[in-house]
Amino acid sequence: MGSGPEIPRREFLKSAVAIGGTAAFSACLGREEISVPAGSTEWSSYPDRQHAWTDVLPRDDYGNTIPPRHRVLLFLNLDSASVPDPSDRETFESALRGVEAAYERSATGLLLTVSYSRSYFDRFDADGPTGLELPPPEPLAPFEDPQLDTPDAVIHLASNTAQVVLGAEEALKGEVGTLNGIEQPEAAITDLFDIERRRVGFVGEGLPAENARESDTLPEDAIAEDAPMLMGFSSDFESTQPTEDRVTIQSGPFAGGTTQHISKLLLDLDQWYTQDDRWQREAKMFCPHHAEADLIEGAGDSLGATSKVEECGGTAETAREKGVVGHSQKAAQARDEDDSPLILRRDFNSTAEGVPTLHFLSLQRRIEDFVETREAMNGTDLAADSPVGQRTNNGILQYIRTERRGNYLLPPRSLRALPPANPTAATMEATDASA
Amino acid sequence: MRRRDLLAAGGALVGGSLMAGCLERLGFQTQSAWRDPPLVEDRPDGVYYPALVEGMGLYGTSTDRDLGFALFYSFPHRFWNLTGSRRTKVVVRPEDSLHLMASVWDTATETVLPVDLSAEITDEAGETKTTNLWPMLSPNMGFHYGDNVALPGAGDYEITLEVGPLQTDRTEPFSGQFRDRRSATMTVHFDPSETYALDIERLGEQAGKRGTVELMELEQVPAPTVPPASELPGRLLHEGGSGDAKLLVGLVDGESRFREGSGPYLYVSPRTPYNRVMLPRMSLAATIERDGGPNTTTDLRATIDPELGVFYGVPLEAIVNGDTVSIEVQTPPQVSRHDGYETAFLEMPPIEFTVG
Repeated sequence: MGSGPEIPRREFLKSAVAIGGTAAFSACLGREEISVPAGSTEWSSYPDRQHAWTDVLPRDDYGNTIPPRHRVLLFLNLDSASVPDPSDRETFESALRGVEAAYERSATGLLLTVSYSRSYFDRFDADGPTGLELPPPEPLAPFEDPQLDTPDAVIHLASNTAQVVLGAEEALKGEVGTLNGIEQPEAAITDLFDIERRRVGFVGEGLPAENARESDTLPEDAIAEDAPMLMGFSSDFESTQPTEDRVTIQSGPFAGGTTQHISKLLLDLDQWYTQDDRWQREAKMFCPHHAEADLIEGAGDSLGATSKVEECGGTAETAREKGVVGHSQKAAQARDEDDSPLILRRDFNSTAEGVPTLHFLSLQRRIEDFVETREAMNGTDLAADSPVGQRTNNGILQYIRTERRGNYLLPPRSLRALPPANPTAATMEATDASA
Repeated sequence: MRRRDLLAAGGALVGGSLMAGCLERLGFQTQSAWRDPPLVEDRPDGVYYPALVEGMGLYGTSTDRDLGFALFYSFPHRFWNLTGSRRTKVVVRPEDSLHLMASVWDTATETVLPVDLSAEITDEAGETKTTNLWPMLSPNMGFHYGDNVALPGAGDYEITLEVGPLQTDRTEPFSGQFRDRRSATMTVHFDPSETYALDIERLGEQAGKRGTVELMELEQVPAPTVPPASELPGRLLHEGGSGDAKLLVGLVDGESRFREGSGPYLYVSPRTPYNRVMLPRMSLAATIERDGGPNTTTDLRATIDPELGVFYGVPLEAIVNGDTVSIEVQTPPQVSRHDGYETAFLEMPPIEFTVG
């Protein structure tokens, strides 16, 4: 991998995350002049919710949280088809605690979650995890035919520091003995799992434009320097994101956990940037009202902490009268009785495989909440009785192709290492004791 | 024709190995020759003869159960996208290799369907890219789906056209149909020296005048047209015009496939002014005014019928002689346009007539 001085530092770091491996990690160490404090080993000080990230994320001037910039998803399959035993749990928990001890739990340090699919739980019980519905993934639009992901587990690593996600990944694999000055345990995830696939990416101001410059599949100069995502607009408005409480499972043995959907969406940025103009992009991403009223500057920061979606008007009326309906406008229909959105987006972009991609990762109390939100985004009802097509002028559906979908249970921290489908007090104590 | 000569010269220099993007390296500026050729001056606010009409070729046709698919190609060319009443010019990009076009129809009735269509293109190396084609109007094709597409080079490509279920209302015998995804895969050969050996017809003095060329006729592919006035069902109430489109308004009474129960059914069958090309993706509303009664306004529903093709209609309680009917175009046809259609069907004022 090139490490010559001619490569700008930030671009180098992003490429390093895409490539991965110990060489990339050690190259990163010399490039990123940042010192990340080691993590606490007071294990009781960690929140029980693995997904409790909001409190440690920085916020912009409008109060919107800024998501961690560098991401790695590791899709894991257990080597064995049998039910994990206490020593398997101990191995996994020990590996996870190794990287937590190395990097503090923060946006500069490391944020991580572990989640499990229905096929993992099926080894315990044909009914899936107790107390919640964890349906296998399925196509969620009449026009999509995605591959369905069924790895046993997914680890999500996130940090504003490239070397942290890389270092954590390498340490989890048992490839480094000392991480950030902290000695790592013997235990490695590779003792238990095969790594089926790896998805990497980025989100945040500057990174999409940098990627576009490097990639020959992205329109040159189309993406604004300050855009946080490849499509040019922010998606992380305080008002369009529910609280972590809203997405947390409230009862049953997995209380304190959440469910996670991860899809891989390919983006047609050629059409988006070279065939539509700014007005059309605003109308399709937000709503025609926002484009007409010129509410959006840059990535949408001028909207402040809200996408002002309540000013958009009804979708059916807009579709008939304007011939186009906005993505945010449709998605905003999926809200609960307290007017809260249902899904917490922690998505990110990638160009690692040569195609502009959105790794859409969301947390919600029930997978059904995601399905409901996605149905609202489909706007299928609008295509029946308006000039809006199934995809054309129907939000951003024209530019998105769903490649893969997967559903996961993200258990509370106390059950993050190979949980049984029906955890009882006894199994949880056993887990605690062994860890 | 300069452009063709230029391309032919490029082809002669490097034969079949000419690749998209190579023209520039050979010293030809695709940008200037293709990108955004001059428009005819003084375009009317309506359908007009463009400066030139580019020929097109048929890659092939295929069927998947009840649906027929056709795949065509032409030179990459400029078109116009429409979002609401916002029109944008889409110019040819240097990397564009061809203009890929497709058509979809019900094989039993030869009814052309207004459904969104995607094209998945796989090259010999197995690399795949997918694009959702735009619904479009062009002088010689009429309604179709298309986009300019960049291919990595000459060679064989597998192209899969796919449609999802159709959401639009339909009459019998269509009610149980078009509920599933359908697709067709065709293998095509892209060789610039062949692909670009299409005719280009310069329209000379006709360019810029109101009118258009004849639709190309193909035995294997049904024309995207709607029936002439004399073949419309029921009684023709009015032949109106708006934004250079013709709006034919008809009434079917009694029991019919158009409505539940028995009673009058009002429909509007819009079409282009010269070739009767269908105009899908509009929204229309009808207001009926009767002496002594309140005005009633109802949205018309886009519907597909094997005889009428795409139309917009609504069942009524009653309609009598002397009623005044006005048809409002809430949204003009949301279809992209080639040169010759980009100034038509944009501003579409209401039409009004008295039933008599």
